[in-house]
Amino acid sequence: MNNFGVIEVASTATKTTPGWAYVPDTGGHPSLPAALQPKNRKRAAARNQPGLSLSDLTARQENKLRKDLEALGRDNQREVNIPIPHKSSTSSRSQKHTPNVRKILQSQKTFANHLDDYQALLALAESNPAAVVNNPLLFMNKPLASSSASGTPAKSASPAAATPPPTNKRAAAAAKRAAAREREEERKRAKMVSLAPPPPTQPEQQTEQQTEQQTEQQTEQQTEQQGDAEMVDVPTTEGQQEEKEVPSYPPDGTVLPAYKKPPPVAHPGDGDPLLVSVVPGFPTDEELRALMTAPPLNYMEARATFGEEGERYPTRVFCEMCGYWGRVKCMKCGVRVCALDCLEGHREECVTRYGL
Amino acid sequence: MAGGRKPKSAGPAPPSSTLVLDNGADTIKTGFVTGDDSTTDKAPRVIPNCIARDRHSKTYVGSELEKCKDFGEIVFRRPVEKGSIVNWEAQKEIWDRSFFDDKAPQKCDPSATRLVLAEQPNSLPALQTHCDQIVFEEYGFSSYYRGIGPSFNAYQDIQAVFHTPRTPDTIIDVPAEVILLIDSGYSHTTVTPLLQGRLLHPAIRRLDVGGKLMTNHLTRLLSVRHFDMRNETYIVNEMKEAACYVSLDFKGDLDKTWKGTRGERREDYATGAGIAKDYVLPDSHTRFHGIVRDHEPGAAARARKSAVSTEDILTLRNERFSVPELLFNPTDIGLRQPGLADLVMQSLSVLPVGLWPGLLANIVVVGGNAKFDNFIQRLQVELLERVPDECVVRVARPEDPIISTWLGAANFAKHEHADRLAVTKQEYEEHGAAWVARKFALGLGLDT
Repeated sequence: MNNFGVIEVASTATKTTPGWAYVPDTGGHPSLPAALQPKNRKRAAARNQPGLSLSDLTARQENKLRKDLEALGRDNQREVNIPIPHKSSTSSRSQKHTPNVRKILQSQKTFANHLDDYQALLALAESNPAAVVNNPLLFMNKPLASSSASGTPAKSASPAAATPPPTNKRAAAAAKRAAAREREEERKRAKMVSLAPPPPTQPEQQTEQQTEQQTEQQTEQQTEQQGDAEMVDVPTTEGQQEEKEVPSYPPDGTVLPAYKKPPPVAHPGDGDPLLVSVVPGFPTDEELRALMTAPPLNYMEARATFGEEGERYPTRVFCEMCGYWGRVKCMKCGVRVCALDCLEGHREECVTRYGL
Repeated sequence: MAGGRKPKSAGPAPPSSTLVLDNGADTIKTGFVTGDDSTTDKAPRVIPNCIARDRHSKTYVGSELEKCKDFGEIVFRRPVEKGSIVNWEAQKEIWDRSFFDDKAPQKCDPSATRLVLAEQPNSLPALQTHCDQIVFEEYGFSSYYRGIGPSFNAYQDIQAVFHTPRTPDTIIDVPAEVILLIDSGYSHTTVTPLLQGRLLHPAIRRLDVGGKLMTNHLTRLLSVRHFDMRNETYIVNEMKEAACYVSLDFKGDLDKTWKGTRGERREDYATGAGIAKDYVLPDSHTRFHGIVRDHEPGAAARARKSAVSTEDILTLRNERFSVPELLFNPTDIGLRQPGLADLVMQSLSVLPVGLWPGLLANIVVVGGNAKFDNFIQRLQVELLERVPDECVVRVARPEDPIISTWLGAANFAKHEHADRLAVTKQEYEEHGAAWVARKFALGLGLDT
């Protein structure tokens, strides 16, 4: 833990607020009321670790870092406004837009604005779920499967996002029965022909919410697969015997089909305990299903961050002038340089900026 | 069964031609796929996705940029920000000129075309809805699928990328069973594990280092050390593409390029040690693109002295490898994110260990940054340090990593999955944008 309880300075902020930055509260300032100081003794102890204040970034440095990172994300050095050029030839397409389209085309929002909006929406959903119940944007990312599986009434919660009534009860029940029947058949088939990769079973939640079209297509595939299976299951008897001895990996009946080819030729060293490699157990079907149907993360969740343990290695610092390791610190401004040559170069700049 | 009531022929037949569009932040990759192989595009057309203005205030939209000769002080307006289409005013103009105008080079009739559009993972829902609305309400495509770009890569022969030895009768499974796809583009780098062409959403991770950030970083370095290049983004970008490489021995290379302290004369520095390169800047009269040359000690100084020489020479030393180094060590510029190898490990840590061998043996890197020399070697080396000894780590990149996603998407358009996933205009009008977005988010499900 080398972040002093103050994390993520540089890049999560999407707006610049001039002259303001997070600074680590190092405590102990007499003018501060006691309430600002941490009650937690552990935290206080962590703060009083020796040496921390030295490597600690000053507010000025933090600010500079954040501004630098922002500058790196820009398309042009200066703000430019390039208007859309007028077309010389008039397009044959009509110039009428629907209200939605007009709104989108006229919007001058940047990505940062949209991100802020979304974060605000999420925050609102957390603090006051009733206020955003009708907002389709919140449920959009959640696929139907997960919402029906977890039992949250996302569908009814967003009438704007009117999903088609899945199927009526009878149809759903029929689909379920059919699926069960198919599974039964598959099991039988699998018993008879242990070789053929069995068509994966249908998850129940799927049948509950699938639309008519999907059902139709699935049945088609099922028939196709049946045809496939029948074609595959006429290998020679030796091959069958050979493969029966080999435990398939991953085990049959998973989302991933089993390895079908004959194993490599036996080697005298196979039994050698020194050469044995440990193969982790293959995840179960349920695990894989859950992974493959999991809802997408949102934009912020997908961003990689350092985990609990923080950065494993100390940050590397480089010479501001030449890019070699930053081994020397300028006494005036704290900028790192590599050696005397670069320090002199830096001094000139430092003096003009901060005076002697 | 529910499906039995409505015969399949009742719905409109899927349109015969598909416009496959990989709308990147830097370039759009586009082409048509039809049922018949002779009319299908073999490779996409690559259009710059920007509106540019040069120093003579002439504006170029999209592919018109080819006509531009002088890239000095050129400024860009890009409709795509952080991987999502944000500014539709500009994007529409570029699309119009490429596909829908009377004189468009790839003329397209939306009412008889399906659109397959690649987007980044974990996009903002508001922006996704905007996209759907524009596609249906403004252009009126008859059928449409907006899919996650990385997942399209599964629809090509991935084992060919790895040169896996195999018998000629091997059946190529499409979508590929297991891939760990790394897409390192202009805006950011994403790690996406794929199983049977489906994304494993909990394990998707994004690193906010992309081509743009690296170009801007190089611009800054050069402006401190050589000339002020801050208005020459285009030129610096060309320089980055031509001269930068990923170092396999960062510490060693850095030592070789150090000029030493005061009064010291280091042999490696003087000779360039094979790392230093001279970059001849374009002068926008006779030379419109820069040239990389081997370092010739003293050439830059001579050129500066002599009045005859018209060459502006920039000597690139540690800039060559410290810029792509950001992918592996983002903390070097204060960006508090783990490097690419750690990112892969973070992504794997969410998944069951049983999947690791498969994923690690099938790492594919796509996107423009994959073109850096030694990129895949470095990633392989760093991953080998982190994974258990028994794991086989194979990292590969397709022949052209930039168009790989498009090629996959083109195969996808021919695959039966496309018919299952696409949404028709009718359905959009019936169920609304939110339903469409959810159908896309649901993806393929599990039913193959």
